[in-house]
Amino acid sequence: MDPLKLALIMLLALDPELMGIISLSLIVSFTAVGAALLVGLPIGALLSSYHFPGRWAIITLSNTFLGMPPVVVGLFIYVLISRAGPFGWLGILYTSYAMMLAQFVLVLPISIALSRQVFETLNNEYTPLFLSLRTSKMNRVIVLISEARVALITIALACFGRAISEVGAVMIVGGNIRHSTRVMTTAIGLETSRGELAKALALGAVLLAIALSVNIASQTIRSKFERNVVSD
Amino acid sequence: MTEKTNENFILQTYNLTVIRNGKRLLDGINLSIRQGSLTMLLGHNGAGKSVLLRTLHGLLSASSGHIKAPPAKHQKIVFQKPILLRRSARKHFRFVCPDCLDHKAESWFAHANLQAQMDTHTHQLSGGEQQKLALIGALASQPSLLFLDEPTSHLDYESTTAIEQMILEAHANGTTIIMTSHNRAQAERMGEHVLFINAGQLVESQPAADFFQKPVSPIADNFLNHL
Repeated sequence: MDPLKLALIMLLALDPELMGIISLSLIVSFTAVGAALLVGLPIGALLSSYHFPGRWAIITLSNTFLGMPPVVVGLFIYVLISRAGPFGWLGILYTSYAMMLAQFVLVLPISIALSRQVFETLNNEYTPLFLSLRTSKMNRVIVLISEARVALITIALACFGRAISEVGAVMIVGGNIRHSTRVMTTAIGLETSRGELAKALALGAVLLAIALSVNIASQTIRSKFERNVVSD
Repeated sequence: MTEKTNENFILQTYNLTVIRNGKRLLDGINLSIRQGSLTMLLGHNGAGKSVLLRTLHGLLSASSGHIKAPPAKHQKIVFQKPILLRRSARKHFRFVCPDCLDHKAESWFAHANLQAQMDTHTHQLSGGEQQKLALIGALASQPSLLFLDEPTSHLDYESTTAIEQMILEAHANGTTIIMTSHNRAQAERMGEHVLFINAGQLVESQPAADFFQKPVSPIADNFLNHL
Protein backbone atom coordinates (compact mmCIF):
# COMPACT_ATOMS: atom_id res chain seq x y z
CA MET A 1 0.00 0.00 0.00
CA ASP A 2 1.06 3.57 -0.61
CA PRO A 3 3.01 4.72 2.51
CA LEU A 4 1.02 7.97 2.64
CA LYS A 5 -2.32 6.11 2.71
CA LEU A 6 -0.95 3.70 5.31
CA ALA A 7 0.25 6.62 7.45
CA LEU A 8 -3.20 8.18 7.27
CA ILE A 9 -4.87 4.90 8.26
CA MET A 10 -2.51 4.49 11.23
CA LEU A 11 -3.29 8.00 12.42
CA LEU A 12 -7.04 7.64 12.00
CA ALA A 13 -6.99 4.25 13.73
CA LEU A 14 -5.06 5.78 16.63
CA ASP A 15 -2.41 3.08 16.35
CA PRO A 16 -1.46 2.27 20.00
CA GLU A 17 2.29 2.25 19.43
CA LEU A 18 2.08 5.50 17.50
CA MET A 19 -0.01 7.10 20.24
CA GLY A 20 2.45 5.87 22.87
CA ILE A 21 5.34 7.49 21.02
CA ILE A 22 3.42 10.76 20.57
CA SER A 23 2.33 10.94 24.20
CA LEU A 24 5.84 10.17 25.50
CA SER A 25 7.24 12.89 23.22
CA LEU A 26 4.76 15.40 24.58
CA ILE A 27 5.32 14.40 28.22
CA VAL A 28 9.11 14.61 27.90
CA SER A 29 9.06 17.95 26.10
CA PHE A 30 6.38 19.58 28.27
CA THR A 31 8.25 18.54 31.44
CA ALA A 32 11.61 19.73 30.14
CA VAL A 33 10.20 23.06 28.94
CA GLY A 34 8.23 23.60 32.15
CA ALA A 35 11.32 23.01 34.26
CA ALA A 36 13.47 25.20 31.99
CA LEU A 37 10.98 28.07 32.26
CA LEU A 38 10.70 27.65 36.01
CA VAL A 39 14.46 27.98 36.35
CA GLY A 40 15.22 30.22 33.37
CA LEU A 41 12.68 33.00 33.77
CA PRO A 42 13.70 34.10 37.28
CA ILE A 43 17.35 33.92 36.18
CA GLY A 44 16.50 36.06 33.12
CA ALA A 45 14.67 38.54 35.34
CA LEU A 46 17.56 38.73 37.80
CA LEU A 47 20.16 39.13 35.03
CA SER A 48 18.17 41.99 33.53
CA SER A 49 17.63 43.77 36.84
CA TYR A 50 20.77 43.38 38.89
CA HIS A 51 24.49 43.59 38.44
CA PHE A 52 26.28 41.04 40.56
CA PRO A 53 29.58 39.17 40.38
CA GLY A 54 29.37 36.41 37.80
CA ARG A 55 26.53 38.06 35.88
CA TRP A 56 28.48 38.31 32.65
CA ALA A 57 29.74 34.75 33.07
CA ILE A 58 26.14 33.49 33.24
CA ILE A 59 25.13 35.61 30.25
CA THR A 60 28.11 34.44 28.19
CA LEU A 61 27.52 30.82 29.18
CA SER A 62 23.81 30.91 28.34
CA ASN A 63 24.50 32.64 25.01
CA THR A 64 27.18 30.05 24.20
CA PHE A 65 24.80 27.21 24.98
CA LEU A 66 22.21 28.73 22.64
CA GLY A 67 24.19 27.44 19.68
CA MET A 68 25.28 24.18 21.26
CA PRO A 69 24.66 21.17 18.95
CA PRO A 70 22.15 18.80 20.59
CA VAL A 71 24.40 15.78 20.12
CA VAL A 72 27.11 17.50 22.16
CA VAL A 73 24.57 18.19 24.90
CA GLY A 74 23.51 14.54 24.68
CA LEU A 75 27.10 13.41 24.93
CA PHE A 76 27.71 15.70 27.90
CA ILE A 77 24.65 14.39 29.75
CA TYR A 78 25.60 10.82 28.81
CA VAL A 79 29.04 11.21 30.38
CA LEU A 80 27.50 12.62 33.54
CA ILE A 81 24.79 9.99 34.04
CA SER A 82 26.44 6.89 32.61
CA ARG A 83 27.24 4.20 35.17
CA ALA A 84 30.86 5.41 35.48
CA GLY A 85 29.88 9.10 35.53
CA PRO A 86 29.55 11.31 38.60
CA PHE A 87 25.76 10.96 38.55
CA GLY A 88 25.68 7.32 37.50
CA TRP A 89 24.16 6.40 40.87
CA LEU A 90 20.92 8.06 39.75
CA GLY A 91 20.40 5.20 37.30
CA ILE A 92 18.49 7.34 34.82
CA LEU A 93 20.46 6.57 31.64
CA TYR A 94 18.14 5.25 28.91
CA THR A 95 15.06 6.47 30.72
CA SER A 96 12.64 9.26 29.91
CA TYR A 97 14.15 11.22 32.82
CA ALA A 98 17.47 11.37 31.00
CA MET A 99 15.66 12.65 27.91
CA MET A 100 13.89 15.30 29.96
CA LEU A 101 17.24 16.33 31.42
CA ALA A 102 18.82 16.58 27.96
CA GLN A 103 15.97 18.69 26.62
CA PHE A 104 16.02 20.81 29.79
CA VAL A 105 19.71 21.58 29.23
CA LEU A 106 18.99 22.38 25.58
CA VAL A 107 16.15 24.84 26.18
CA LEU A 108 17.31 26.42 29.45
CA PRO A 109 19.71 28.82 27.63
CA ILE A 110 16.86 29.83 25.29
CA SER A 111 14.56 30.65 28.20
CA ILE A 112 17.31 32.60 29.97
CA ALA A 113 18.55 34.56 26.93
CA LEU A 114 15.14 35.46 25.49
CA SER A 115 13.55 36.29 28.84
CA ARG A 116 16.55 38.45 29.77
CA GLN A 117 15.97 40.53 26.63
CA VAL A 118 12.26 40.89 27.37
CA PHE A 119 12.89 41.74 31.02
CA GLU A 120 15.65 44.19 30.16
CA THR A 121 13.30 46.21 27.95
CA LEU A 122 10.60 46.22 30.63
CA ASN A 123 13.05 46.91 33.41
CA ASN A 124 14.43 49.97 31.62
CA GLU A 125 10.88 51.24 31.28
CA TYR A 126 9.81 50.51 34.85
CA THR A 127 12.98 51.26 36.83
CA PRO A 128 12.01 54.88 37.65
CA LEU A 129 8.61 53.66 38.88
CA PHE A 130 10.15 50.86 40.94
CA LEU A 131 12.70 53.24 42.44
CA SER A 132 10.06 55.84 43.19
CA LEU A 133 7.80 53.29 44.90
CA ARG A 134 10.79 51.63 46.60
CA THR A 135 9.62 48.29 45.22
CA SER A 136 11.47 45.35 46.78
CA LYS A 137 13.73 43.16 44.63
CA MET A 138 11.40 40.20 44.95
CA ASN A 139 8.37 42.29 43.97
CA ARG A 140 10.23 43.67 40.98
CA VAL A 141 10.87 40.16 39.67
CA ILE A 142 7.23 39.19 40.25
CA VAL A 143 5.96 42.33 38.47
CA LEU A 144 8.40 41.87 35.58
CA ILE A 145 7.28 38.26 35.07
CA SER A 146 3.64 39.32 35.27
CA GLU A 147 4.15 42.22 32.85
CA ALA A 148 6.04 40.05 30.38
CA ARG A 149 3.50 37.23 30.44
CA VAL A 150 2.51 37.43 26.79
CA ALA A 151 6.09 37.60 25.58
CA LEU A 152 6.95 34.76 27.93
CA ILE A 153 4.29 32.55 26.39
CA THR A 154 5.99 33.12 23.04
CA ILE A 155 9.31 32.16 24.65
CA ALA A 156 7.71 29.02 26.09
CA LEU A 157 6.44 28.08 22.64
CA ALA A 158 9.89 28.67 21.13
CA CYS A 159 11.39 26.41 23.81
CA PHE A 160 8.77 23.76 23.16
CA GLY A 161 9.40 23.88 19.42
CA ARG A 162 13.10 23.35 20.01
CA ALA A 163 12.55 20.51 22.51
CA ILE A 164 9.96 18.49 20.61
CA SER A 165 11.93 18.56 17.36
CA GLU A 166 15.25 17.59 18.90
CA VAL A 167 16.70 14.21 18.00
CA GLY A 168 20.45 13.92 18.71
CA ALA A 169 20.50 14.36 22.47
CA VAL A 170 17.48 12.18 23.28
CA MET A 171 18.83 9.46 21.02
CA ILE A 172 22.10 9.36 22.96
CA VAL A 173 20.69 9.46 26.49
CA GLY A 174 17.37 7.75 25.81
CA GLY A 175 18.57 4.98 23.56
CA ASN A 176 15.40 4.93 21.43
CA ILE A 177 14.06 1.87 23.27
CA ARG A 178 10.68 0.63 22.03
CA HIS A 179 7.80 1.26 24.45
CA SER A 180 10.18 3.01 26.81
CA THR A 181 12.20 5.91 25.40
CA ARG A 182 11.13 6.08 21.79
CA VAL A 183 9.91 9.55 20.88
CA MET A 184 8.70 10.95 17.56
CA THR A 185 12.04 12.21 16.27
CA THR A 186 14.02 9.10 17.14
CA ALA A 187 11.23 6.88 15.82
CA ILE A 188 11.17 8.76 12.51
CA GLY A 189 14.91 8.21 12.14
CA LEU A 190 14.64 4.52 12.95
CA GLU A 191 11.58 3.78 10.82
CA THR A 192 13.07 5.60 7.83
CA SER A 193 16.29 3.60 8.09
CA ARG A 194 14.22 0.39 8.31
CA GLY A 195 12.17 1.36 5.27
CA GLU A 196 8.95 1.64 7.33
CA LEU A 197 7.98 4.85 5.62
CA ALA A 198 4.30 4.77 6.63
CA LYS A 199 5.06 4.99 10.33
CA ALA A 200 7.78 7.60 9.73
CA LEU A 201 5.40 9.69 7.62
CA ALA A 202 2.60 9.43 10.17
CA LEU A 203 4.92 10.61 12.94
CA GLY A 204 6.35 13.28 10.65
CA ALA A 205 2.82 14.56 9.98
CA VAL A 206 2.09 14.77 13.71
CA LEU A 207 5.39 16.55 14.35
CA LEU A 208 4.63 18.97 11.56
CA ALA A 209 1.12 19.56 12.95
CA ILE A 210 2.58 20.28 16.38
CA ALA A 211 5.13 22.70 14.89
CA LEU A 212 2.36 24.40 12.95
CA SER A 213 0.16 24.66 16.04
CA VAL A 214 3.02 26.16 18.03
CA ASN A 215 3.64 28.70 15.29
CA ILE A 216 -0.04 29.65 14.99
CA ALA A 217 -0.37 29.96 18.77
CA SER A 218 2.73 32.14 18.90
CA GLN A 219 1.49 34.42 16.10
CA THR A 220 -1.97 34.71 17.63
CA ILE A 221 -0.64 35.66 21.03
CA ARG A 222 1.82 38.11 19.51
CA SER A 223 -0.82 39.85 17.43
CA LYS A 224 -3.09 40.12 20.47
CA PHE A 225 -0.19 41.57 22.43
CA GLU A 226 0.56 44.12 19.72
CA ARG A 227 -3.05 45.24 19.70
CA ASN A 228 -2.94 45.52 23.50
CA VAL A 229 -6.17 43.65 23.88
CA VAL A 230 -4.86 41.10 26.32
CA SER A 231 -6.45 41.83 29.63
CA ASP A 232 -5.71 40.29 33.00
CA MET B 1 22.79 81.19 45.70
CA THR B 2 22.28 80.05 49.28
CA GLU B 3 19.18 80.29 51.42
CA LYS B 4 19.05 80.06 55.17
CA THR B 5 17.82 76.93 56.91
CA ASN B 6 14.29 77.36 58.18
CA GLU B 7 11.89 74.93 59.79
CA ASN B 8 9.17 75.95 57.30
CA PHE B 9 11.21 74.49 54.49
CA ILE B 10 10.18 70.98 53.50
CA LEU B 11 13.14 70.47 51.17
CA GLN B 12 16.63 71.90 51.18
CA THR B 13 19.78 71.12 49.26
CA TYR B 14 23.32 72.04 50.12
CA ASN B 15 25.84 72.28 47.33
CA LEU B 16 24.10 69.50 45.43
CA THR B 17 26.25 68.27 42.56
CA VAL B 18 25.66 65.47 40.08
CA ILE B 19 28.46 64.41 37.76
CA ARG B 20 27.99 61.73 35.12
CA ASN B 21 30.65 60.69 32.62
CA GLY B 22 32.76 63.67 33.64
CA LYS B 23 29.92 66.14 32.94
CA ARG B 24 28.46 68.33 35.69
CA LEU B 25 24.72 67.87 35.28
CA LEU B 26 24.02 69.74 38.52
CA ASP B 27 26.58 72.10 39.89
CA GLY B 28 26.44 73.16 43.53
CA ILE B 29 22.69 73.66 43.85
CA ASN B 30 21.53 75.29 47.08
CA LEU B 31 17.79 75.65 47.30
CA SER B 32 15.00 75.73 49.83
CA ILE B 33 11.39 74.83 49.17
CA ARG B 34 8.79 76.21 51.51
CA GLN B 35 6.20 73.81 52.94
CA GLY B 36 2.93 73.93 50.99
CA SER B 37 4.35 75.97 48.10
CA LEU B 38 3.95 75.39 44.39
CA THR B 39 7.31 75.92 42.77
CA MET B 40 7.91 76.02 39.03
CA LEU B 41 11.29 74.74 37.93
CA LEU B 42 12.20 76.47 34.68
CA GLY B 43 15.12 76.34 32.30
CA HIS B 44 16.18 75.53 28.77
CA ASN B 45 16.18 71.98 27.45
CA GLY B 46 19.16 70.18 28.95
CA ALA B 47 19.53 72.74 31.75
CA GLY B 48 19.16 69.96 34.33
CA LYS B 49 15.51 70.29 35.41
CA SER B 50 14.64 66.60 35.15
CA VAL B 51 17.99 65.60 36.64
CA LEU B 52 17.32 67.91 39.58
CA LEU B 53 13.79 66.53 40.12
CA ARG B 54 15.02 62.94 39.93
CA THR B 55 17.93 63.64 42.26
CA LEU B 56 15.69 65.37 44.78
CA HIS B 57 13.34 62.37 44.68
CA GLY B 58 16.22 59.92 45.08
CA LEU B 59 16.09 58.32 41.65
CA LEU B 60 19.60 59.59 40.89
CA SER B 61 22.40 59.67 43.40
CA ALA B 62 24.24 62.91 44.07
CA SER B 63 27.98 63.02 43.46
CA SER B 64 28.36 65.44 46.35
CA GLY B 65 26.27 67.70 48.50
CA HIS B 66 23.34 66.99 50.73
CA ILE B 67 19.55 66.83 50.47
CA LYS B 68 17.26 67.39 53.44
CA ALA B 69 13.85 66.03 52.46
CA PRO B 70 10.87 64.15 53.89
CA PRO B 71 11.11 60.35 54.00
CA ALA B 72 10.75 58.58 50.65
CA LYS B 73 7.24 57.32 51.45
CA HIS B 74 6.02 60.92 51.75
CA GLN B 75 7.30 61.85 48.29
CA LYS B 76 5.88 61.00 44.90
CA ILE B 77 6.81 61.80 41.30
CA VAL B 78 4.84 61.97 38.07
CA PHE B 79 6.83 61.66 34.87
CA GLN B 80 6.37 63.47 31.58
CA LYS B 81 5.56 60.14 29.95
CA PRO B 82 3.51 58.23 32.51
CA ILE B 83 4.94 54.86 33.49
CA LEU B 84 2.00 52.48 33.67
CA LEU B 85 1.95 48.73 34.13
CA ARG B 86 0.42 46.67 31.35
CA ARG B 87 -2.80 45.83 33.15
CA SER B 88 -6.14 47.44 33.92
CA ALA B 89 -6.16 50.98 35.33
CA ARG B 90 -7.63 49.61 38.57
CA LYS B 91 -4.82 47.05 38.96
CA HIS B 92 -2.15 49.62 38.15
CA PHE B 93 -3.61 51.92 40.79
CA ARG B 94 -3.59 49.07 43.31
CA PHE B 95 0.11 48.50 42.56
CA VAL B 96 1.13 52.12 43.09
CA CYS B 97 -1.12 52.52 46.13
CA PRO B 98 -1.23 49.07 47.79
CA ASP B 99 -2.79 50.50 50.95
CA CYS B 100 -5.73 52.02 49.09
CA LEU B 101 -8.98 50.19 49.71
CA ASP B 102 -11.45 49.69 46.86
CA HIS B 103 -13.76 52.53 47.90
CA LYS B 104 -10.79 54.88 48.14
CA ALA B 105 -9.62 53.84 44.69
CA GLU B 106 -13.10 54.44 43.29
CA SER B 107 -13.22 57.86 44.87
CA TRP B 108 -9.86 58.80 43.29
CA PHE B 109 -11.00 57.54 39.89
CA ALA B 110 -14.16 59.61 40.29
CA HIS B 111 -12.05 62.62 41.24
CA ALA B 112 -10.18 62.25 37.95
CA ASN B 113 -13.38 61.49 36.05
CA LEU B 114 -12.00 58.07 35.16
CA GLN B 115 -14.67 55.82 36.69
CA ALA B 116 -15.61 54.42 33.29
CA GLN B 117 -11.98 53.54 32.58
CA MET B 118 -11.22 51.60 35.78
CA ASP B 119 -11.17 48.27 33.99
CA THR B 120 -9.63 49.54 30.77
CA HIS B 121 -6.12 48.41 29.89
CA THR B 122 -3.72 51.24 30.71
CA HIS B 123 -2.31 51.24 27.18
CA GLN B 124 -5.77 51.77 25.76
CA LEU B 125 -6.26 55.00 27.70
CA SER B 126 -5.72 58.34 25.97
CA GLY B 127 -2.63 60.39 26.82
CA GLY B 128 -4.65 62.65 29.11
CA GLU B 129 -6.29 59.69 30.87
CA GLN B 130 -2.92 58.01 31.34
CA GLN B 131 -1.48 61.13 32.94
CA LYS B 132 -4.54 61.53 35.17
CA LEU B 133 -4.12 57.91 36.27
CA ALA B 134 -0.45 58.53 37.06
CA LEU B 135 -1.40 61.67 39.00
CA ILE B 136 -4.11 60.07 41.14
CA GLY B 137 -1.74 57.13 41.74
CA ALA B 138 0.76 59.62 43.16
CA LEU B 139 -1.79 61.67 45.09
CA ALA B 140 -3.65 58.72 46.61
CA SER B 141 -1.01 58.11 49.25
CA GLN B 142 -1.26 61.80 50.19
CA PRO B 143 2.40 62.72 49.76
CA SER B 144 3.69 65.82 51.48
CA LEU B 145 5.99 66.47 48.51
CA LEU B 146 5.07 65.92 44.87
CA PHE B 147 7.43 66.23 41.91
CA LEU B 148 5.87 66.78 38.49
CA ASP B 149 8.11 66.50 35.44
CA GLU B 150 6.29 68.36 32.64
CA PRO B 151 3.03 66.57 33.39
CA THR B 152 1.01 68.30 30.68
CA SER B 153 3.42 68.41 27.75
CA HIS B 154 1.93 66.74 24.65
CA LEU B 155 -1.58 66.93 26.13
CA ASP B 156 -4.50 68.77 24.57
CA TYR B 157 -6.12 71.83 26.14
CA GLU B 158 -8.91 69.89 27.85
CA SER B 159 -6.59 67.35 29.46
CA THR B 160 -4.12 70.07 30.43
CA THR B 161 -6.87 72.05 32.16
CA ALA B 162 -8.12 68.97 34.02
CA ILE B 163 -4.63 68.03 35.19
CA GLU B 164 -3.83 71.60 36.25
CA GLN B 165 -7.05 71.63 38.25
CA MET B 166 -6.09 68.41 40.03
CA ILE B 167 -2.62 69.79 40.78
CA LEU B 168 -4.06 73.01 42.17
CA GLU B 169 -6.48 71.05 44.35
CA ALA B 170 -3.63 68.94 45.73
CA HIS B 171 -1.73 72.15 46.42
CA ALA B 172 -4.77 73.65 48.14
CA ASN B 173 -4.89 70.54 50.34
CA GLY B 174 -1.35 71.24 51.53
CA THR B 175 0.84 69.18 49.21
CA THR B 176 4.12 70.87 48.36
CA ILE B 177 4.62 70.74 44.61
CA ILE B 178 7.70 71.19 42.46
CA MET B 179 6.87 71.16 38.78
CA THR B 180 8.78 71.66 35.54
CA SER B 181 7.13 73.21 32.52
CA HIS B 182 7.97 74.67 29.16
CA ASN B 183 4.72 76.57 29.02
CA ARG B 184 5.13 80.16 30.20
CA ALA B 185 1.40 80.77 30.55
CA GLN B 186 1.07 77.65 32.67
CA ALA B 187 4.06 78.60 34.82
CA GLU B 188 2.63 82.10 35.39
CA ARG B 189 -0.84 80.71 36.03
CA MET B 190 0.20 78.09 38.56
CA GLY B 191 3.53 78.98 40.10
CA GLU B 192 4.00 80.78 43.40
CA HIS B 193 7.74 80.56 43.27
CA VAL B 194 10.21 80.03 40.45
CA LEU B 195 13.54 78.30 40.36
CA PHE B 196 15.45 79.02 37.17
CA ILE B 197 18.37 76.78 36.35
CA ASN B 198 20.87 76.98 33.56
CA ALA B 199 23.69 74.54 32.73
CA GLY B 200 23.10 72.71 36.00
CA GLN B 201 23.34 75.85 38.14
CA LEU B 202 20.56 77.57 40.06
CA VAL B 203 20.50 81.04 38.57
CA GLU B 204 17.37 82.50 40.16
CA SER B 205 15.02 81.67 43.01
CA GLN B 206 12.26 84.20 43.56
CA PRO B 207 8.49 84.69 43.72
CA ALA B 208 6.84 83.89 40.40
CA ALA B 209 5.37 87.38 39.95
CA ASP B 210 8.79 88.98 40.38
CA PHE B 211 10.49 86.49 38.11
CA PHE B 212 8.05 86.93 35.26
CA GLN B 213 7.94 90.73 35.61
CA LYS B 214 11.61 91.36 36.00
CA PRO B 215 14.08 88.50 36.04
CA VAL B 216 17.39 89.39 37.60
CA SER B 217 19.75 87.57 35.28
CA PRO B 218 20.10 88.33 31.56
CA ILE B 219 19.96 84.61 30.78
CA ALA B 220 16.56 84.28 32.50
CA ASP B 221 15.37 87.40 30.69
CA ASN B 222 16.48 85.88 27.41
CA PHE B 223 14.79 82.59 28.35
CA LEU B 224 11.47 84.31 29.05
CA ASN B 225 11.61 86.21 25.79
CA HIS B 226 11.83 82.92 23.91
CA LEU B 227 9.40 80.92 26.03
